[in-house]
Amino acid sequence: MTNKEFKVPPVAFPSAGNPASAGPNLQQRRMPTPPFQPNSGIPFMSFDIGSAAASTSSGPIYTGPAVGAGGSANFDDEEPLLDELGIHPDQIWSKIRSVLNPFRVNHTVHKDSDLSGPILLYMSFCLFQLLAGKIQFGVILGWIVVSSIFLYVVFNMLAGRTGNLDLHTCTSVVGYCLLPVVIFSALSLFLPVDGVIRLSVAAVFVLWATRASAGLVVSLADGGDEHRGLIAYASFLIYTLFSLLVIF
Amino acid sequence: MYGNVGSQPGVQQSQTSLPPNPFGSAFNVAGSGLIRGGLGAYGGKILGSSSEYVQSNISRYFSDPQYYFQVNDQYVKNKLKVVLLPFLHRGHWTRITEPVGGRLSYKPPIYDINAPDLYIPLMAFGTYVILAGLSLGLHRKFSPEALNLLFIKGLLGWFMQAALLKVTLLSLGSGEAPLLDIIAYAGYTFTGICLAVLGRIILGYSYYFLMPWTCLCMGVFLVKTMKRVLFAEVRSYDSSRHHYLLLFIALVQFPLFTWLGNITINWLL
Repeated sequence: MTNKEFKVPPVAFPSAGNPASAGPNLQQRRMPTPPFQPNSGIPFMSFDIGSAAASTSSGPIYTGPAVGAGGSANFDDEEPLLDELGIHPDQIWSKIRSVLNPFRVNHTVHKDSDLSGPILLYMSFCLFQLLAGKIQFGVILGWIVVSSIFLYVVFNMLAGRTGNLDLHTCTSVVGYCLLPVVIFSALSLFLPVDGVIRLSVAAVFVLWATRASAGLVVSLADGGDEHRGLIAYASFLIYTLFSLLVIF
Repeated sequence: MYGNVGSQPGVQQSQTSLPPNPFGSAFNVAGSGLIRGGLGAYGGKILGSSSEYVQSNISRYFSDPQYYFQVNDQYVKNKLKVVLLPFLHRGHWTRITEPVGGRLSYKPPIYDINAPDLYIPLMAFGTYVILAGLSLGLHRKFSPEALNLLFIKGLLGWFMQAALLKVTLLSLGSGEAPLLDIIAYAGYTFTGICLAVLGRIILGYSYYFLMPWTCLCMGVFLVKTMKRVLFAEVRSYDSSRHHYLLLFIALVQFPLFTWLGNITINWLL
């Protein structure tokens, strides 16, 4: 027993000693050459890094106060947000009220065309359709664009050389005169789904929208007086198309 | 080490600087002169010829679209009568011409009942889409996607009708009719289809009477009109061939009307 215990340690030492003695020798031989080159390179890099850090630190200090001073100076003189965006609520309301009168549309308030009122009506239309269980945001907005271009082309072709209806005015008129259809979509939430009642109510609102739209387009642009009936039929097609979305 | 590194770049710099100076400058001068002169000459020729080519093609294929919209209420009513009831058209089918600028031109639609217009085809096409939506809705099948498909189906029908008329004219050796004329004549198809579809919406069984009737009326209208177009363009007369092709035009109206008048979600049928 004791002899075996004595024999194990001597065997371990020589096996560990051989690689240990070889390793340090190789490391010592490799060590001298690498240290010289990095030592010579490091001081130059450290100097550059230091100078770069100094330059970057100075920049923000100088630019910060100027920005703050500029902002504080301009803020008091800025226009209200709605004016800057070109949205005039009183103008929108007066235009909507003019379209609400089904017998005589006041076309003077529509001289200045805008698109914020129409967008408001589009969103209302989409909302009422959503309440009826129909998700038709893309369809309504897409058909609005196509309808406006359609009426714009038809009017300017019929009017000939004297036609001066621009696409912005046309889109504005088509959008505002969509109000009766929007009212119909809200009203249809309470109407029975089947039957002649729905179609009859739709016919009333479509004729109302057609009359308003044709009247506005003819009065706002030149060259449309002798083609009122033909332009009215184009408007009739447009608002019938949108009423189909409400009826069915 | 520093001395060696410094000397090598110096030698390279001297080698690179010496050779290219005279040769490079000479090539640049010669190249710029030749290229500028050549581009100027050829550019002018190309632009001139291409602009002339485009102008000639535009005047050939796309006559003034304004001409086709010179209409009024009276013309629209009378034209609808001619298209839907061609048997009752007592006058002639020849278009009225007038000398303008030393050459003969046709009178605009507002002065000539036989002149084609684009207002009626456009409105008829729109009415077709609306009536298709209404028909789908009454059968509980309405959806915006279905309406979009029917819009495409209508455009396809319009294109096929225009292609039929164009190919017929070309096969008879006459390809001079303006493209917008052909499109206008093809667009009148939708007036008859709208009448048939409207009849079906109002009274279901009237469709089976109105559809053949409108096919026949459109066939007669197209035969009369194409005959005038052919006689205006073709000087030589081959009666048998002309008659067969005109009869072919009339017969094709029946399947085309049936296809366009069949309002279903499956737009291939």
